[in-house]
Amino acid sequence: MDALSNINLNAADLQSLPDRDKAELQQFLKNETQKSTIQQAIHSLTDVCFRKCITGKISSGTLDKTEEPCMRNCVDRFMDANNSILKQLESMRTG
Amino acid sequence: MSTSSSNVKTQIINEVRQAAAIQNARHLIEKINEHCFERCIPKPGTSLSKGEDACITSCMEKYMSAWNTVSRQYVARIQKEAGSRGAEL
Repeated sequence: MDALSNINLNAADLQSLPDRDKAELQQFLKNETQKSTIQQAIHSLTDVCFRKCITGKISSGTLDKTEEPCMRNCVDRFMDANNSILKQLESMRTG
Repeated sequence: MSTSSSNVKTQIINEVRQAAAIQNARHLIEKINEHCFERCIPKPGTSLSKGEDACITSCMEKYMSAWNTVSRQYVARIQKEAGSRGAEL
């Protein structure tokens, strides 16, 4: 997260934090990093699936009754494909 | 002293949250621009037509709906997979 470099704090402030606060911050950052990773995945899945599922003329702001299930299937099939590839790779490694 | 250290902590938490929200919004806007420009303005004219403008508005809303749908589906899926992995162990 390069946006983090904008935060103005000096090292002394951080160093002087009590251990309890340091631990709490560490946990907080771990959670935020995970959240950010999940959001990145959602961005890239939306990108891929929008391209595949929204192919007609765009005339309304909502997903119609074919687009919505297509988006949901697209997410699940992408994950299936991902899992299948990982499984294949794993069998190549052990086999 | 303890109030100042808790201020530092709160400050970090708030700034990290804000930075993450800005980054997320920026990413979404970038993707909306990319997709909606491609879909709504296939042949750029001398100005944005009424039709193009309406298409961009719909496209933006549609992309956000798509993002929310993907978000729900993806989170449900990884939760399910985490759950079944936990059961295997």
